[in-house]
Amino acid sequence: MKISHNWLKNYIDLEAEPEEVKEKLTMLGLEVESVEYLGEKYKNFYVGEVLEVNKHPNADKLTVCKVNVGKDVLQIICGAPNVAVGQKVPVALVGAIIPRNQHDPEGKPFVLTRAKIRGVESYGMICSEYELGLGEDKEGIMVLDESAKVGQPLAEYFGLDDVVYDISITPNRPDCLSHIGIARELAVVFGLKLKKPEVKLIESERKVTDFASVEIVDYINCPRYSARVVLNVKVEPSPQWLQNYLRLVGLRPINNIVDITNFVLYEVGHPLHAFDYDKLTGHKIVVKCANDGEVFITLDGKARTLRSDTLMICDAEKPVAIAGVMGGLNSEITDETRNVLIESAYFNPISIRRTSKFLGLSTDASYRFERGADPNAVIWAVDRAAQLMAEIAGGEVLKGVIDVYPVKIEPRIVKLRFSRLNSIIGMEIPRDKVVEILEGLEIEVLNVDDDSVKVRVPTFRPDIEREIDLVEEVARVYGYDKIPDKMSSVVHFSTEKAKVDFNEVVRERLIGAGFKEVVTNSMLDEEVASLFSDNFVKVLNPLSREMSALRPSLIPSALDVVRHNFGYGIRDLKFFEIGRVFGVGLAGDDVSSLVGNYVEKEHLLILMTGRAEPLSYDLKERNFDIYDLKGEIERLFKSVFLENYRFIYYSNNRSALAELEIGVEIDGKYAGKLFKVGDVLLKRFDVQADIFIAEIDLNLMSKGSRIESRHYVELPRYPSVYRDLAFVVDESVPVGELEKAIKEKAGGLLKSIYLFDIYRGEKIGEGKKSVAFSLEIVSGQKTLTDEEVNALMREIVSYVEGRTGGKLRGF
Amino acid sequence: MKNQIEEVKSKFLSEISSVEDEKQLEELRVKYLGRRGIIQSLFDKLREVPKEEKPALGKLLNELKELAQGKYNEKKLEIKGKKAKVESFVDLTIPGRLKYTGRKHPLTQTLEEIKKIFIGMGFEVASGPEIEDDYHNFEALNIPPEHPARDMQDTFFIEDKIILRTHTSPVQIRVMESKKPPVRIIAPGRVYRNEAISARSYCLFHQVEGLYVDERVSFAELKGTLLAFAKQMFGSDVKLRFRPSFFPFTEPSAEVDVSCFICGGKGCRVCKYGGWLEILGCGMVDPNVFKFVGYDAEKYTGYAFGMGVERIAMLKYGIDDIRLFYENDFRFLDQF
Repeated sequence: MKISHNWLKNYIDLEAEPEEVKEKLTMLGLEVESVEYLGEKYKNFYVGEVLEVNKHPNADKLTVCKVNVGKDVLQIICGAPNVAVGQKVPVALVGAIIPRNQHDPEGKPFVLTRAKIRGVESYGMICSEYELGLGEDKEGIMVLDESAKVGQPLAEYFGLDDVVYDISITPNRPDCLSHIGIARELAVVFGLKLKKPEVKLIESERKVTDFASVEIVDYINCPRYSARVVLNVKVEPSPQWLQNYLRLVGLRPINNIVDITNFVLYEVGHPLHAFDYDKLTGHKIVVKCANDGEVFITLDGKARTLRSDTLMICDAEKPVAIAGVMGGLNSEITDETRNVLIESAYFNPISIRRTSKFLGLSTDASYRFERGADPNAVIWAVDRAAQLMAEIAGGEVLKGVIDVYPVKIEPRIVKLRFSRLNSIIGMEIPRDKVVEILEGLEIEVLNVDDDSVKVRVPTFRPDIEREIDLVEEVARVYGYDKIPDKMSSVVHFSTEKAKVDFNEVVRERLIGAGFKEVVTNSMLDEEVASLFSDNFVKVLNPLSREMSALRPSLIPSALDVVRHNFGYGIRDLKFFEIGRVFGVGLAGDDVSSLVGNYVEKEHLLILMTGRAEPLSYDLKERNFDIYDLKGEIERLFKSVFLENYRFIYYSNNRSALAELEIGVEIDGKYAGKLFKVGDVLLKRFDVQADIFIAEIDLNLMSKGSRIESRHYVELPRYPSVYRDLAFVVDESVPVGELEKAIKEKAGGLLKSIYLFDIYRGEKIGEGKKSVAFSLEIVSGQKTLTDEEVNALMREIVSYVEGRTGGKLRGF
Repeated sequence: MKNQIEEVKSKFLSEISSVEDEKQLEELRVKYLGRRGIIQSLFDKLREVPKEEKPALGKLLNELKELAQGKYNEKKLEIKGKKAKVESFVDLTIPGRLKYTGRKHPLTQTLEEIKKIFIGMGFEVASGPEIEDDYHNFEALNIPPEHPARDMQDTFFIEDKIILRTHTSPVQIRVMESKKPPVRIIAPGRVYRNEAISARSYCLFHQVEGLYVDERVSFAELKGTLLAFAKQMFGSDVKLRFRPSFFPFTEPSAEVDVSCFICGGKGCRVCKYGGWLEILGCGMVDPNVFKFVGYDAEKYTGYAFGMGVERIAMLKYGIDDIRLFYENDFRFLDQF
């Protein structure tokens, strides 16, 4: 919210410099996001008088003007249709920074230079309201009031030799959404006295009750409604000072009546509304809810469809305003308006917020009502507005104020115990200081004793309801910086068994193996999600279609990473991700965390594509293949002591997503797969390469890992013997079958087995292959003799030959 | 004597440069570095110089001796090398055989640093679901429906009352529901905000939540804990600034700025010439939150804090666009 430094001075004798004000406000919890020095901004702008307007020799739409800017008469080229001799106009001199460029789509500022326009020199610029950043009018130059003095700095003329703070007000502080509210806070920290303007109202003899009436039907949502009537006003533009004030806080002046309601809003924070009294049928106000589906046209000319919970201000026949949000076009103040009814009401914050959200319409008024206006400020606000209307618009204020307020909202009484305050803050704040702070905030101290202070909280502070709220007030004003930093703590030792962070172990292993870690978006296109799961989770209000579902798999975002890197010519990729995947729960699911019917699981994804090793001068260049991926998975499992896993299926069938696929089972449960990405996916992600991916359930890995229960096993005392065996088998016999057969026969004596050669060639005949293994044989009981090993080998050979139809090639 | 040392030095250097074989080198060694060599004789003379000059001269002499020894060793290798070159040549300038370099994502690295510091201070690590219900994400955190504070966090909905968590604070509720005080946890995790994507904001990011509930936990202790964290994380001379703020689930609440560790608080581009960088939000747990989880608010007090991992990583490494974290460009990942 914008707050003017000079405006504040109406309520406190503020002597501090803007930088100090900024610091103090920020440390009170009213964060100043920026400070704008307007005098600086309009440094090279002056009031000028147009002396001559001549046609430009080379352009029809341009004129060559002579403008008196006080110390000089300048030649200025002007393109505005409305420029005329005798006008007082805002002139920017060479070097001025024009706040907004009319010819730039974003209206960026620019520095004015001397220029030759179609062959004629121009030494300045006559500005429009838009260019000055004072309004939206781009149609022509701004014409100033007759009273403007030639040569006067423009900032002075506009009352812009001021400083404007942009303050971010947290939702708990509606009382700070006004100049008086901010002044009150500053008064406390600077030790100043707040001077609220005194309202001096001259009322006529005629009674308001003879002219208008108010009925509240829904008093839950409208606990208070008051009104005044001002007759015979003259609607016209506001005086300069009032326009200036509104421009400072970013409002556009409209007419004196509307401007006055806005002025009071920014002065005291209470939203008002002015109705054209003569357009109110029956001169009556009725506060009630709308009918479902009813259409109402608001001030901005938009048709709004209402609901049965939309609180409306109506006259005897029809709705005339959406309560606390925006007035209607049908009762708007216009140039023809003669008589005005001023509304000053208090609406239920929840009702206003609901309406504002439902309509997607947030206004200065709704913003304050939904945070909580002061129900007991309504009379002051309506009187203040009536006074200004009498003064500025020459109206007759009728006697009395209509005030329907069936149940008075009383200030709260709250008690603060000093012991509680001190224990929460962690230091002792002197009692006198506590009382001083509370009183400074206009919180009335009713009683102080040894243990506590009892206060009455003004109704402009809806955020203070409980003791803890007072603790905060005291701490905030006392200063967080004065609270000590307690550098020690009582720590209760944890007695739960310290767990190995399994994800961390997996990360370390993979990084050691040369994988980079990626972190990707967990939202994706629902169409992509549907390729991977039937039970994916949809987002009801996504940012875009590309993020309309939660990922059921880490694969799609991994392929995005591939595409991104390919786009920059990086084609050798080896990476992993650890992340959550989501699904709608199915009966019998093994579920780790669940809200509603939703499942979240942690997955590990590994991806490899491109060269298997970085380029080297003497290694044969080779690309990653499925065995590299299989090897990495086996190594990873081994390194995290995961032994109880099986590859459960091997598929050479092409599917939409994969060709070459291996399934993995851990502890008898399906845990994921390794595969080569298939054509459909490659196309969908617009990448062309051999890409190998594994996606495994991390939770199953963690459960299957023995990392928490490692035990020493006695080392074999006898040396190992190594023997090689090669079999010639039909092409169709999988290597896995041979390996399985060897293992079965060798039993416990076989410590390890390595595949070291697969050979195809003329020597062994077409349709055949030779598969060679190296076997490590060791016994736990004794050193095996050559004879014993040979006997074992013979047994293995005949068993394998029988099982696979192969023939021993030799050893 | 100083001149003498200088003289020996220059003589030695010129002589050694003309040495060509092992024999000559050995002769030179005996002459200068031998037990009765020139350098030793200078050391002998040192005994005769006045006491006050001894340290300076001794230092010079030692330097001379080291220099001579070094040059001798160098020359010896050079002569040997020449001999070997002729016999067999291995070109050691050929690059080594490379393997791909693994790296942790910068967000993981930052999170690990944060975790390590808090674990060292006695915090345990907790976690919770990303698909969260309205109750844990808002209501139990003292944010009733229709509360304007709901505007502070734009929410993605899955169902009417089920959402993507907008902060890690619901983990506080889940932990307090499941155990009695003392509770001392941090909860790292991913959170979601329905905000337009730009260099400054992404639709999701990572937070670390902290919670400590016990008897007599105070705001002063919160300040001290976070100061200790900041010093370990950003540098032992950083300062913290606690500014009053508002969060529905804490009271009193504060936003915390750290003095800019890039410029030391003098003002620079990173801190936008203000000298402070906003890093986290915190406060004392609101008694209403204790009511929701069934803790006795008279007996127990507590503090909570939450910080953005991306924000801290961006400040720490000078990253100016949050989207870089999710693009995973290998040229980016390789920088951390």
